[in-house]
Amino acid sequence: MSDTIAETPTVMIPDQKDRIARRLGRRHAAEKRFRIYGIVAIGFALAMLAFLLTTIVWNGYSAFFKTYVQIEIHLKKDEIAPGGRIDRAVLAKADYQTLLRESLIEKYKPEGRRARRRLTGLVSIGAGEYIRDFVLANPSVVGTTQSIWVPASADIDQLVKGGIDRNLPETSRRIKNDQLAILTRWEKEGRVETRFNTGFFTQGDSREPEQAGIWGALAGSFFTMIVTLLLAFPIGVATAVYLEEFAPKNRATDLIEVNINNLAAVPSIVFGLLGLAVFLNFFELPRSAPLVGGMVLALMTLPTIIISGRAALKAVPPSIREAAYGLGASRLQVTTHHVLPLSMPGIMTGTIIGMAQALGETAPLLMIGMVAFVVDIPGGPTDAATVMPVQIFLWADSPERAFVEKTSGGIIVLLAFLITMNALAIVLRKRFERRW
Amino acid sequence: MNEAIAAVGGTAETAPQAPPGLKFVTRNVCVFYGEKQALNGIDLDITECEVTALIGPSGCGKSTYLRCLNRMNDTIDGARVTGSLELDGEDIYDPRLDVVQLRARVGMVFQKPNPFPKSIYDNVAYGPRIHGLVTGKAETDEIVHTSLAKAGLIDEVKDRLQEPGTGLSGGQQQRLCIARAIAVSPEVILMDEPCSALDPIATARIEELIDELRENYTIVIVTHSMQQAARVSQKTAFFHLGDLIEYGETAQIFTNPQDEKTQGYITGRFG
Repeated sequence: MSDTIAETPTVMIPDQKDRIARRLGRRHAAEKRFRIYGIVAIGFALAMLAFLLTTIVWNGYSAFFKTYVQIEIHLKKDEIAPGGRIDRAVLAKADYQTLLRESLIEKYKPEGRRARRRLTGLVSIGAGEYIRDFVLANPSVVGTTQSIWVPASADIDQLVKGGIDRNLPETSRRIKNDQLAILTRWEKEGRVETRFNTGFFTQGDSREPEQAGIWGALAGSFFTMIVTLLLAFPIGVATAVYLEEFAPKNRATDLIEVNINNLAAVPSIVFGLLGLAVFLNFFELPRSAPLVGGMVLALMTLPTIIISGRAALKAVPPSIREAAYGLGASRLQVTTHHVLPLSMPGIMTGTIIGMAQALGETAPLLMIGMVAFVVDIPGGPTDAATVMPVQIFLWADSPERAFVEKTSGGIIVLLAFLITMNALAIVLRKRFERRW
Repeated sequence: MNEAIAAVGGTAETAPQAPPGLKFVTRNVCVFYGEKQALNGIDLDITECEVTALIGPSGCGKSTYLRCLNRMNDTIDGARVTGSLELDGEDIYDPRLDVVQLRARVGMVFQKPNPFPKSIYDNVAYGPRIHGLVTGKAETDEIVHTSLAKAGLIDEVKDRLQEPGTGLSGGQQQRLCIARAIAVSPEVILMDEPCSALDPIATARIEELIDELRENYTIVIVTHSMQQAARVSQKTAFFHLGDLIEYGETAQIFTNPQDEKTQGYITGRFG
């Protein structure tokens, strides 16, 4: 065989092997270079992510802890129950905050109005509630002196957690020397403790950082997301199915397609304006409500779901459609029995992306009043509420030092909510996935 | 019926009552994809309980014609069919006729095996279920088993009916598709190059099967393989560029073609 080749005159490149080898070296180098670019880019991204998460957790973990101080308080009978009668209604109404203040003043005898205020400022203004709960739990303590654990004020909380430096000169420190002296005494007596801050997960917003919790915003986000999902998912999937499987292909449907694609790029605040004009001003739905927020976010999420849904429907091989049509299935049967189940994973992916976007959205909700300061926990989608990103924004905007950790704490909760939501969706998607 | 034929013009006298034994009578069938005409007036009769092979070079319109017989062209945007197509004397393009019923009577097997990504059992049971032919599990079981038996697949799959149909080999998948088609008890089975994606052994099995099915079903098969057409069919129709060039007994077409294009094609000079 090789003999015949040698005899016949063929195109001979003198140093063919060397040329190929040289070229091959360059090709391998290019490939290697590209791989290195990729690894460096991913490494950089991971480092940034780690930095971001570390910063957030570092700043935010202290929001999950809260400082309590043990105060000796004289539960004066004539002030708690002036009429002498001790029953729950009377006990619930008494002014425990004043009692606490009086007890502190009696014990430490500060001179002057300012010193008095500094003294009483050691404990949270929500401390009265803790005393009330304590008294309601065992009414027999009325008339005695008790040691009760109550939350410290935000400044003390920060000082104990290390947010405020004790060694600063008094003039540039929020905690003055007399306050610091009392606190140091309490610490020596074991009357200061840092405990897990359950209130952060069970309370609504507050002007007092030590009282503020994320639960109101979490519930608001939850109701908003439910409304968004219930509206956007069925409408989006139905639209995608209609456009992809039923609608004739003509000018009108082309126009609709172009418009849907453009809608995905509309700034979200425009949807907020639309919600304000249509849902609030025209239909007069309640302001600040998760119902309206959910509706606005559904409008924003629809294009994402429709576009990804259509792509997923298109990806179903035509042979499956033909097989079903060939057996005499109607168009709707072909869609619901075969095409839709097969495209469900793709549709779910689009929905996850859309919902995650909606969860983090702030701007459109500002327009419909969900930026209001809401203390109450919303009980349903029509109650006034705010959502987590707005809550974080509000906290970030507050001047108090103690809100810094609340902001980061809120972000941690938001991320946890997001991860939970996505994990749930991915589990659902896995169940729909079928092997080809 | 005569009116319908009169409407397409000129063929009223030449189309008498369908003689017994003819399943499909089609006259002057034209198909347009948008502006492009794919079939130029095909007159063809399909005989009952026989295998009719449609042969011809690629793009000659044989698949297009096949897809007219169960109105699969309806699913293509911009496709338009004119002319007269009758199944047992009924115009199948009558607007009053439900295409679902038509496809229950005229089943189809495709070029590439396309089982649903479901279990073998569900694949076969799907047709009877959507047409309401079965009630209860016992009836469904029976129809699944008989269909798989008729398709010659039952011995290979009877222990794994709940496994996905897509896990079978190519030839088994195609027989599953045949079982799925015969599960709705059609009168006609259309096969669009059913063996082109299969190896020779699987092809031989399908051909055997076609020969067995001929007893109970009318079969129309599109094929690129002349040997296959010669082996399995009784009638052969040769298509070329949207025209029906020649139609007749298979033996006659392959041994003594009347048209020189036919002769050129079957002797391999073009196509």
